[in-house]
Amino acid sequence: MKDIKQFVSTASGIIEHDHHQDGIDRRGFLKCMAWAGSGALCVVEAGVLKSAALGAQLGSLKKPATSNQLSFVQISDSHMGFSKPANPDVVATLETAVSKINALPDTPGFILHTGDITHLSTPEQFDTVEQILKSTNQEVFFVPGEHDVLNDDGAMFLKRYGRNPKGTGWYSFNHSGVHFIGLVNVMNLKAGGLGNLGPEQLEWLKDDLRAVKHSTPIVVFAHIPLWAVYPQWGWGTDDGALALSYLKKFGSVTVLNGHIHQTMQKVEGNVTFHTACSTAFPQPSPGQAEGPGPMKVPADQLRKVLGITDVNYVQRRRGLALVDSSLE
Amino acid sequence: MHRLRSLFIAIVSLTLILAVVLRSARATGQAAQTQASEIKVDNFTFSPEVVTVPLNSTVTWTNKDDVPHVIASTDGVFRSKGLDTDDRYSFKFTRAGTYSYYCSIHPKMTGKIVVQ
Repeated sequence: MKDIKQFVSTASGIIEHDHHQDGIDRRGFLKCMAWAGSGALCVVEAGVLKSAALGAQLGSLKKPATSNQLSFVQISDSHMGFSKPANPDVVATLETAVSKINALPDTPGFILHTGDITHLSTPEQFDTVEQILKSTNQEVFFVPGEHDVLNDDGAMFLKRYGRNPKGTGWYSFNHSGVHFIGLVNVMNLKAGGLGNLGPEQLEWLKDDLRAVKHSTPIVVFAHIPLWAVYPQWGWGTDDGALALSYLKKFGSVTVLNGHIHQTMQKVEGNVTFHTACSTAFPQPSPGQAEGPGPMKVPADQLRKVLGITDVNYVQRRRGLALVDSSLE
Repeated sequence: MHRLRSLFIAIVSLTLILAVVLRSARATGQAAQTQASEIKVDNFTFSPEVVTVPLNSTVTWTNKDDVPHVIASTDGVFRSKGLDTDDRYSFKFTRAGTYSYYCSIHPKMTGKIVVQ
């Protein structure tokens, strides 16, 4: 367990994560998970991750210096076209998410959308999301969810959002000293299996990382969690561990996923895993329902379990800060 | 010569008519054996998971979930479009054998059709 970092849960609700110690505090992990929807702040600063519920503790954590700062927002699972009781108005909740983004004190540099943009892969649903996101005036980087590649092996997704002429939608880019890698794990899924990257993409990833310095912070984003969150519900990626093995030599790796419609976080070695809320509907905690389908909560609770993730990076301090905030 | 030719045409025509009649009779016999079978897709499972049907049966899947599913045979014999809630997909099995299938977007969901 040498490469597992330590969580220290404090009475104030702050979780500190010491990158230079071993062992793991499960209470801390669970506490972080329990914040789903209510908003949580996770800061990695000079190798130390700190987390706090949004609001009260915000002021007690040092705000990163503004110089060389990169800020971006992750949104996920907008499921445009969904209209079932779990959320009859996914347009309204996505619009609220956009208002939140527009109201952020630090204007983000761009937006990452980690898939399930649409519910049924129709052109109209893609168009609607595009229209709503336009008002952020931000560039949006997408990776597909399984709902975006329903009927055409992802052809429509690629035509709209593809950034790499090769493959099924994977790509990488550099921004403010951080290397970003978008992966696709929703294509060519095998019967009985989980999410899948496939040998061609793994080969590309290995090759892509060759030119990246080990000191460069890396952000990997994909729809289905790359770590085994709950394989019984398909919440994991069959060859995710192989992809992560290529990232071991890098000092700071942040893996951002969607798919499970709730925030969850764990830190293992140099890697921080984090899943974002949906902007459309919540899903149950692993194993806490008969299946992983949309979860209906009382109407006045819905916006408390939907949300966005704001990520900040301070170049000088080599740190990433993740802030989950609910729509209400 | 003319009479011979007429006789020849008559025999050929009769044979053709007979062939058509026999064939449709056989088809009617087969139709009588055909069965329809229903599979419910509910809570991320196929129910029943294994279905055994006679040759030439039509199997219909109905999605009862709030999320779409795609019915896809493991070896590419059949594949539905994305089925939204209450959408149906049917496939007629005209060859005997065991057909494994799954939901191509939720691959943990698997089922089998045995055609006898």
